[in-house]
Amino acid sequence: MNKVLRLDSRSVSLLILVCLWVLVIAGLAILKPAALGGAMLTSVLQFSTILALVALGQSLVILAGGAGIDLSVGGAVSLSAIVAMLLLKAGMPSVLLPFACMGAGLLLGLFNGYLVTRLRILPLIATLGTFFVFSGLALALTGGAAQSGVPQWMLSWGRGVWFSIPVPFLTATIPVFVLAAVVLGYTAWGRWIYAMGHNETSARLVGIPVDRTRMILYALSGLLAGVAGLVSLAWLGSGRPNIGQNLELESLTAAMLGGIGIFGGRGGVGGVFAAVVLLITLKTGLLQLNVNTVWQVGIVGALLIVVLLADRFYQNRR
Amino acid sequence: MNASVRTIGLNGRELLLLAACALAIVVFSIAAPAFGTPANAATILRNSVELLLIGLGMTFILAMGGIDVSIGIVMGLAAIAVGKLLEGGAPVPIAALAGPLAGMALGLITAAVVVLGRIPAIVGTLGLLGVYRTAIFVALGGQWLSGLPTGLTELLYARPLGIPVSAWIIAIAYLAAWLALRRTPYGPHLLAIGNAEEKARLSGIAVTRVRFATFVASGFLAGVAATFYVATYRNVEMSIGSTLALDAIAAVVLGGTSILGGRCSLIGTVLGVLLLRILQNGLLLIGVPSLWQTVVTGALLIGVLGMEAAAGRLKFSSIGQAAR
Amino acid sequence: MFKFAKQLLAATVLTAAATAAFAQDKPKVAFVPQLIGIPYFNAMEAGGKKAAEDLGVEFIYTGPVDTNPVDQLQIVQTLIDQGVNAVSVSVLDASSIAPVVEAAKAKNVKLFTSDSDAPDSGRAVYVAQATDEGLGFAIIDELVRRVGEDAKIGIVSGEATASNLNAWIGFMKARAAEKYPKLQLLEPQFAGGTAQRATQIAGDLIAANPDLKGLIAVASSTCPGVAQAIETAGKIGQVVGTGYCSPNTARSYLKSGAFGFTVLWDPAQLGYLTVWAGKQLIDGKQFEASNTIQGLQSPATYDATKGILLLGPPAIFTADNVDQFDF
Repeated sequence: MNKVLRLDSRSVSLLILVCLWVLVIAGLAILKPAALGGAMLTSVLQFSTILALVALGQSLVILAGGAGIDLSVGGAVSLSAIVAMLLLKAGMPSVLLPFACMGAGLLLGLFNGYLVTRLRILPLIATLGTFFVFSGLALALTGGAAQSGVPQWMLSWGRGVWFSIPVPFLTATIPVFVLAAVVLGYTAWGRWIYAMGHNETSARLVGIPVDRTRMILYALSGLLAGVAGLVSLAWLGSGRPNIGQNLELESLTAAMLGGIGIFGGRGGVGGVFAAVVLLITLKTGLLQLNVNTVWQVGIVGALLIVVLLADRFYQNRR
Repeated sequence: MNASVRTIGLNGRELLLLAACALAIVVFSIAAPAFGTPANAATILRNSVELLLIGLGMTFILAMGGIDVSIGIVMGLAAIAVGKLLEGGAPVPIAALAGPLAGMALGLITAAVVVLGRIPAIVGTLGLLGVYRTAIFVALGGQWLSGLPTGLTELLYARPLGIPVSAWIIAIAYLAAWLALRRTPYGPHLLAIGNAEEKARLSGIAVTRVRFATFVASGFLAGVAATFYVATYRNVEMSIGSTLALDAIAAVVLGGTSILGGRCSLIGTVLGVLLLRILQNGLLLIGVPSLWQTVVTGALLIGVLGMEAAAGRLKFSSIGQAAR
Repeated sequence: MFKFAKQLLAATVLTAAATAAFAQDKPKVAFVPQLIGIPYFNAMEAGGKKAAEDLGVEFIYTGPVDTNPVDQLQIVQTLIDQGVNAVSVSVLDASSIAPVVEAAKAKNVKLFTSDSDAPDSGRAVYVAQATDEGLGFAIIDELVRRVGEDAKIGIVSGEATASNLNAWIGFMKARAAEKYPKLQLLEPQFAGGTAQRATQIAGDLIAANPDLKGLIAVASSTCPGVAQAIETAGKIGQVVGTGYCSPNTARSYLKSGAFGFTVLWDPAQLGYLTVWAGKQLIDGKQFEASNTIQGLQSPATYDATKGILLLGPPAIFTADNVDQFDF
């Protein structure tokens, strides 16, 4: 935790996030004390799981700089889930379903990495293209129909709850975030990522394999999208061709709120995690108070602008 | 500084797109007898109007190294202004002008956040996208504006000298844009900012003013598109404009404008929009389900840029530096 | 910033306390539509509010801003956590509702579907406007009466993932195959949620099939676009437009002749029936085979084997009768 705080000490955004989160919880505690409790915890974490996984991939790609961004994450979630289910229908043994889903995500991520590092297409454009292709393919291959037939043993994983904490959150989201925090904070590879994001030319000069690292990061973002697709399968019990809808913009919002600098080299995954939980808590809290859902998108949008303005203001004063 | 403005005399990308359009037209004409009819050509052109106008604004924004993901919703909000006025029985010219005015006002807000607030354009406009969407919900209150009076439609689909008003306005907009790029200091300044903002600032260019003006101009064009939208569809629904921003970025980039700034092509944008619309129309005509249309858009984007990269025309020693 | 936040908080506490005191002890019935901000569901909300007043329950209406099943799921889950007594859902996707059905049972919340069903999910009842079969058949039968049996007909739908729309299309095809073998139904095209895309696709369909006789707008969001395409193509009289469109949305197109007729039920009545059903479930009362309900025009029938509470046959709107309706 200390490590995370220190990484983000240059920005005030994490502080703002925590304050806001406390505000939301306090507001809820006053207005609707009954709402706070195990059920709400389960619900918030359940709906955080997929966004957190995707936002982590998004953040890693942005951290490494080079105008890095992955607009295709939502499409990759949908397509990896659909591909896995189509393979199952084609006769693949159901034991392989998780591997098929994650493998599909990995391949989609590698394709992004190829476009960005080998063909040198700007990430925004390359992943805009793959966003259209992935999300379009998921719909076109199925004609929009949900693909049912997820095996029972996966459902008991996807819907399980241990001590108010959803099992997928415990077994997928937490481990990958811890792993990412450790790698970024304590390994050479993590320092490479920050160095690349901070100044790519000097990173190349000191011999960091920039392109290979970046390729791996895009592949990781795809893999995490595949894991998110898997969670969606195990939770909902069917593959939905538009399950990843809006995730590209939501994950970007979470990353930015979490203090990841859009030009790379700045921020940590702890902030991203906090931002995801804040976003979902905010949504749930507003729902609990029966605030019309139309305000959610606006509040999140305004929040994004305010946090960045505050960040900018703080930096200018220094 | 190698900021060449290519607006006349076709460059490689424009020739490629022209050839692609021609090829698509030939193939579809053979495959689908209904494709080559004047009625279908008119349909394609009519479906391109909004994207051509919004794409023009996006060309300028991308050329100076910016981006605006909220522009489709800006068009939606301006369309609500036009629609409400029409519904309330306001005179048609006033309703028609309300679109560009509302667009400009929203452009001012975007410019204030992104330029004055100095927030990176992609994040700032992402935040505004959320705010504007809520504004659309609130302004419409759940009721669509539908079956609006036809006065505006008659005005905008009149044919002075045998050419529809829409074509006139698009021609004027592109001509004005071309003049601004070629005949005023604005053009070189815009591209200089796109190439390297800090250098441009140091060399005495009024960076803030140029960027501000560009976002406002883009809002204005989205507002013009809004007037056409209401005239054409006589309807304003809640999800209005939700796919336009990404479509416009795809078309403009396809047209050869570089998102790293410093390169822009107006003809390329026109060709990019037309190619997208021709493909969408033609594929449906030969019986490809509409769900494949987004796949084609994406594949085209990747394909064209990938081909160029493979041909070695794009030479970035370091994309990371260029992005700064 | 802090001062402002304090004031804001104080203000919200006050208003919330006021509403809480006012609404105590009334049973709560919630309805979650597929999407908010469209006229169809607004009309259902209005009907639900009226029923809530008549029946003495508190009515909560809240739904997603995009047709996104996960957002819908989160809303339903929150309502269950909040402790409402009954939740009805117009299901976006039949298969994804399963997790919350279990959660509702665990908390003794009556979860049922309305407007769009999730059969086999364990829901308490499905409040239906009309059977999917009846809707699919009605539109084909009416259209054939106007364009003849050997016509070519195009279909423009909204989201490809909407399971109720796809069910209607399925029954349209079934009716055509079974009763009108000469009828040629083109493959459905999907326009998403915007009028612009619907117009573009409808226009392309008209161009691609010069002999097209009919065009069906399946999603209410595609109605204006399809009608507009027929008008701009100058095909009024040659192509008969139709769809599941409310009178207010379709009025000007019915009068211009772009639409020959539209099929729909009164969504306000459906909203009324939904809240009534919620109250029945909370009170633990059984549905009768035929339920006469004050506030509804005709009795609602109940099919115990399928668990469907039916509003009644859909209404057909034409240029002649459209002015009698306002929804």
